[in-house]
Amino acid sequence: MIEGFARVVAEEGGVVWLEPEQTASCGTCMSASACGHNADHGRRLAARRFPLANDHDLAVGERVVIGIAEGELLRASATAYGLPLVTMLGAGITAQFLGAGDGIAAAATLGGLAGGLLLARLRANRLSRQGALTPRFLRRAGFGGCGG
Amino acid sequence: MIHDLILLMVGAALVNNVVLARFLGLCSFMGVTTKVDTAVGMGMATTFVITVSSMGDWAVEKFLLVPFGLGYLRTVTFILVIAGAVQFTEMVIRKVSPALFQTLGIYLPLITTNCAVLGVALLLVAGKYNFIESTVFAFASSLGYSLVMVTFAGLRERIALAEVPPLFAGPPIGFVTASLLALAFMGFSGISAN
Repeated sequence: MIEGFARVVAEEGGVVWLEPEQTASCGTCMSASACGHNADHGRRLAARRFPLANDHDLAVGERVVIGIAEGELLRASATAYGLPLVTMLGAGITAQFLGAGDGIAAAATLGGLAGGLLLARLRANRLSRQGALTPRFLRRAGFGGCGG
Repeated sequence: MIHDLILLMVGAALVNNVVLARFLGLCSFMGVTTKVDTAVGMGMATTFVITVSSMGDWAVEKFLLVPFGLGYLRTVTFILVIAGAVQFTEMVIRKVSPALFQTLGIYLPLITTNCAVLGVALLLVAGKYNFIESTVFAFASSLGYSLVMVTFAGLRERIALAEVPPLFAGPPIGFVTASLLALAFMGFSGISAN
């Protein structure tokens, strides 16, 4: 299980909205305020808010530990990135193999990318219906402090 | 043609590995390799962005920078193309599946500041490849990056369970392991000599 921290930012009926805490690949430094990792930080986090059934009486401001199964992350990566890459390269190489010039090969590659994204969408919808790809509540993490 | 593409892929992924032979992308190499699964996620996201941005870089180089003699703007322009590719990827994944975006969105901001992405774009220009060659080169380079990330993450997971002398615990043993991995990858350079 891959774990991460999230904060409860709103509560509506039986549902709480969670905002995941962003971690950086570095330990952050004195130049953090001018670093690309922190650019648009608030907007990015707001965009990644997600709802969760409030089965554990969570309150606004509370920090929780959420988790997602390792297999689900791999399936998500393969769907979002692997599928479009395979169709994109397949279409481009096939076009070039058939004797097409750079322009036609580029058009075929873009067509393959669009087709791959369409397939990814269909597969992601199917996985979502099966309940995969959604982070789950694991335990409370306590108030305040910085996550990571 | 297929033979040439396979040679190009082997050269880009193994012989001239972007992390262990060219020493690019070391920040994410040390930072996101504590678990195999997060390394796979980061590797696939980076592979996608590098491949997509290489197409933009190739077009910008061929139709804008070379014809108008703007080579001195290459680095700035490529950074713009990479930032655009990351933004495009983020938008598309959010549109394709909000659930996927929640799961994978964490890696995307990290890619913008990954120097391996710009490094591969500049290597494409030096190689003077056609469209498909440049796309395959970028794909293979990023595949090499992902391979090293996953291998190193696997090694670190095992080291975490081993008894390491206190002096070497943490980052020092990580750097020692990385240097041994780089030595191992140097063995691939013999392929080009024979």
